[in-house]
Amino acid sequence: MAQDKFRHIGSHVPRKEDERLLTGRGRYIDDIAVPGALHACFVRSPHAHARIVSIDAQPALDMPGVVAVVTGKDLAAWTTRHRMAPPIDGLQAVEMDTMPTDKARFQGDPVACVIAQDRYLAEDAAEQVAVTYEVLPAVTSMWQALEPASPRVDETLPSNLLSHQHAEHGEVASQMQNAHRVVESVFSQHRQTHLPIETRGCIAVWDEGRQHLTFHVGTQVPHPYRTTLAGRLRLSESQVTVISPDVGGGFGQKIALYREELAVAAVARHLKRPVRWREDRMENLLASSQAREDHCRTRAAVDAQGRVLALELEIVEDFGAYSFYPGNYLARVVAMILTGPYKIQNYSYDVKVVLSNKVGNGPMRAPMSVTSWVMEGTMDAIARSLQLDPVAVRRTNMIEPGDLPYTMATGEVLADITPRETMEAALAAIDYEDFRARQRSARERGVYLGLGICTVVESTTYGSKFYKAAGIPGSGHEAAWVRIEPSGVVNASCGLGATGQGYETALSNAVAEGLGVDPSCVQIQLGHTDVAPYGMGSRGARGGTAGGGTLYLCALDARAKVLAIAAQRLGLASCESLRMRDGRVEQQFDSQWRDSGMGLVDVARTAYLDPLALPQGMGPGLEFHKTYEPPPMTYSNSTHVCEVRVDANTGAIAFDRYLVAEDCGTVLSPVVVEGQQHGAIAMGLSGSLFEHVEYDANGQNLSGSLAEYLVATAHELPHFEIISMHTPNKATPAGIKGMAEGGVMGAIGAVTNAVNDAIAPFGVTATRQPLTPMYLRDLMRGKQPD
Amino acid sequence: MKPAAFDYLRPASIEEALEQLARLGPDAKVIAGGQSLGPMMNMRLAAPAQLIDLNDLTELAYVREAGEWIEIGALTRHCQVAQSPLVRKFCPLLEQAAQTIGHYAIRQRGTMGGSLAHADPAAQLALVAITLGARLKLVRTGSHRWVEAADFFVSAMTTVLAPDELVLSVQFPKAAAQEAASFRMFNRRHGDYAIVAVAATVALAGERVAALRLGVSGVAPMPRALRELAQSFCGRTPDEQWVAQLAAGARDAVSPEDDGRISALYRRELTQSLVADAVGRALAKLQK
Amino acid sequence: MDKQSITLTVNGRNIEFKAEPRKLLSDALREDCHLTGTHVGCEHGVCGACTVLVDGRPARACLTYAIQMEGHEISTIESVGEHGALSVLQQAMHELHGLQCGFCTPGIVMTFEAFLRDHPEPTEEQIRDALSGNLCRCTGYQNIVAAIQLAAQRMRGEPVGGPR
Repeated sequence: MAQDKFRHIGSHVPRKEDERLLTGRGRYIDDIAVPGALHACFVRSPHAHARIVSIDAQPALDMPGVVAVVTGKDLAAWTTRHRMAPPIDGLQAVEMDTMPTDKARFQGDPVACVIAQDRYLAEDAAEQVAVTYEVLPAVTSMWQALEPASPRVDETLPSNLLSHQHAEHGEVASQMQNAHRVVESVFSQHRQTHLPIETRGCIAVWDEGRQHLTFHVGTQVPHPYRTTLAGRLRLSESQVTVISPDVGGGFGQKIALYREELAVAAVARHLKRPVRWREDRMENLLASSQAREDHCRTRAAVDAQGRVLALELEIVEDFGAYSFYPGNYLARVVAMILTGPYKIQNYSYDVKVVLSNKVGNGPMRAPMSVTSWVMEGTMDAIARSLQLDPVAVRRTNMIEPGDLPYTMATGEVLADITPRETMEAALAAIDYEDFRARQRSARERGVYLGLGICTVVESTTYGSKFYKAAGIPGSGHEAAWVRIEPSGVVNASCGLGATGQGYETALSNAVAEGLGVDPSCVQIQLGHTDVAPYGMGSRGARGGTAGGGTLYLCALDARAKVLAIAAQRLGLASCESLRMRDGRVEQQFDSQWRDSGMGLVDVARTAYLDPLALPQGMGPGLEFHKTYEPPPMTYSNSTHVCEVRVDANTGAIAFDRYLVAEDCGTVLSPVVVEGQQHGAIAMGLSGSLFEHVEYDANGQNLSGSLAEYLVATAHELPHFEIISMHTPNKATPAGIKGMAEGGVMGAIGAVTNAVNDAIAPFGVTATRQPLTPMYLRDLMRGKQPD
Repeated sequence: MKPAAFDYLRPASIEEALEQLARLGPDAKVIAGGQSLGPMMNMRLAAPAQLIDLNDLTELAYVREAGEWIEIGALTRHCQVAQSPLVRKFCPLLEQAAQTIGHYAIRQRGTMGGSLAHADPAAQLALVAITLGARLKLVRTGSHRWVEAADFFVSAMTTVLAPDELVLSVQFPKAAAQEAASFRMFNRRHGDYAIVAVAATVALAGERVAALRLGVSGVAPMPRALRELAQSFCGRTPDEQWVAQLAAGARDAVSPEDDGRISALYRRELTQSLVADAVGRALAKLQK
Repeated sequence: MDKQSITLTVNGRNIEFKAEPRKLLSDALREDCHLTGTHVGCEHGVCGACTVLVDGRPARACLTYAIQMEGHEISTIESVGEHGALSVLQQAMHELHGLQCGFCTPGIVMTFEAFLRDHPEPTEEQIRDALSGNLCRCTGYQNIVAAIQLAAQRMRGEPVGGPR
């Protein structure tokens, strides 16, 4: 196995982060004490859509401990507007105030900010701020948003259609006409929210003397965040430091610079006093970015054997009221990678993204989560329609090893992936034939078992070439530095933002591997923009490939210099006979490696304190910097298989078994990767069964607490069995592919396909989520199973 | 989500608590376990001017025999009820129900009196109290009164408790000798309030049903005891058909409402399912 | 309404501070006692992140007012294990990767330090039942369950290895 050629990459190391986190000595945003800091609390619109007529803050200002009340008008003077206008065909440019001045666009939209001595007083005062609204009719569904006469969420746009992309590859229409059959399917995904257990929060400390802002915030992308923050405040990037401490989960909710955070920064500068904000859970459910809510429809032209001759995809996404992110981004990725592991060259898509009076959307772990459900659900629909085995249909259409590298209809190139292998491995592990036999006999007893298969091709790391081709401004590169200290210990950094992924441990492995030291003497520094190099941060699943890859390459550079110095010291003409091993320089005599008598500490001492002894032309010190541009796109793949039983009387779903065969190439830390897989699957299953942000017809958010927004607990989730495979990617450092989101995609598809397999005898299909017992019972009621 | 300000009182005796309640009137609220009131106050859905903390009244945390009854003090925590040997022996329905309340940590704090006074329509203890015909002892300064469980609950979140009254204790009738009990509920997730819950006790005399009690929650603003239905199914042999007919009868005897998320029809179907399940399990215990 | 003098007994020490009666125990521990290991995740008793022990029993600190706790003994995560000397449960969590972002972790440790005292031989079902009062968004719970099982075995004195 390719993993075996590495000494540290792939090793089981319990995490370095654990001791402080287990003993309650982590340092999250709310744990940071800032003497004299004031507390912010936002006044939020109770209406989904309303003009702000007047704000009377005097009753709040009169209350004890209240220092200030700011509104959108104040912030407009202190900050720039946000313009979201990537040069993409079909995407409308939009602008956003720091805080609304004219109208509120969703229930929870902030309209004023109270600054007081503590949060209790701030909340008391916020209740007293008198805002007069003129309620406007609200747009509360995507279909309503598409109607020409619907109220406009953004009055600068001609309609609520924020983005519309369509493309056709190959010949779709003629294939549809001449097909043996056209199978149509619907997949309606519901609105969800990220729900990190730690809500958002920030602390703004303005140094009036240095004219410098230190901004503590839990962020996945420290440098891009800083650049944006400085720009919005009309400060130079030299005037802003962003420090991200321990973060209690991000999942995509902690990437954008939100309006609340910007408001806190601006107020701190204006008041010349530190200001802090901790979002409470109600606010997080009401006003933090949300996700998903897309309605997908496929039409598949097939022959009698189930081969897909052409595929049409339509998506409509309800994007909410504001563009915290570009409106085309998520849906575009779905459309681009939809065909996944299948050979489908005739393919068209039409993606519409609309605005509504709900919170703005943002990428939530696996923003393309609906992809595999849609593709695999389409395969199952084809199987049902033609009465073929769903596995046979998949085999007929799937990319084989000999087809690689495979160029998808959309131009995406798939290389070094193994969907057929993971599918066969998963089916063997679940004993597919045995399941079908058990299913048949169970049906005779009125017990409904189902098995769902979902193969995922996960786009993990986006390179700059991808962004450019997609018309998205931005870079896919990452940056790293490695410094060997005079004492021989190693410090290293990159631009990633940790939110629980175990970077300190996994990235230590990457540095250790590249340099030739034990991971225990490597310290990873992340999150502080004065320290970390300018990288693009953590999003998608790029941590392994981009962060680990850059550090690995940088550490290789470090090793090269170390060995060159060692060679010089040992009087050798070249370093060919030298290697680094666990911090020691070893020399090869015949075929034996022996300790040379020099360790890293000796080389470091020379480099820092005795530079005259260095090789001719070599500069002192052992500090290295590297940037790395990953390939346009890197993929990993997995196949999820889920066995469920559905109670026909109540519609309740129980899990009998859940397994996944995954191939994420070279892994930095198997322990971390396994944990990521568990967490991703858990999020996918929880979302498919329980979570639902619901707005009523007036735009009132009905999911205002954790009693309404249901998240799976330990009791609802099955045991996850993982079969690990490791086919390295030939184009990335050490063959790393990355993973973290595929589990969400696979879980969503696997559980829905399993449920549909279970209820198939009733002649019904679940086309939407969440798969509540009530919904399933509604489908089955009155139907006689055959 | 911080609560609004309040004055805090901590009576050392029941008499003191009652005196405070009488004096302060309806602006004051009592707090026991805080598992229901706490969230409401943090969300500012409740904002009493005074909070009277009953937790020092430890003499109200007890489970004891009182003749034909099991008496439980108002400050008894759910975990104490769930683990009490007396409850297990004399009131197994209550034991089963108490084990399902919330989660392990919640059961350490939530109390019998608090749960009943809060009167959530889906609460387990109210369903058991109504099904078994429990009675509550209510006290105010200088007097007390006994109220049947069925009369104690007026509507959702509403009881007959006067502003100056407290629940002192609850008496549950001891189970009969040949009686088995089963408490079954259906919820979205473990630990959630039930969508529908069923409490059932069955006693046999020879091969026939001598006594039957059936209660359902989630189909009305308060739990319902289906006394007439239960009565009409006594005296027969409890075979499969009997169970099915009883379950169908329960389904037809309840009139839940549509609430947007969950249809009345679904609640009826759950009622039928859960009655069949609960009664089936109770019978299986008897037939061992 | 005004701030009152409150004395709490936390981790064996008496700590006196001034606060309003409405100040939540979670906030008082964090701000007045300077013990930030107890985390706030929801403030309505669902997520369990704020779980501490009150007289040895688990309680949600967000559903208790600090002033209520006078005369009681509070234990927070800071009293369990320390750098270089983790408790049996903490050690098992570490070995079996039972935490990722760590935000829910103190609440889980406190819940199960108590639970394992009451239930030295828990089944997986019992563990998942008790764990259902703590929400975790990162781990999918599986490794946490395994860690609790391992800790229980070790606390019973059974010889067991660590991770596979």
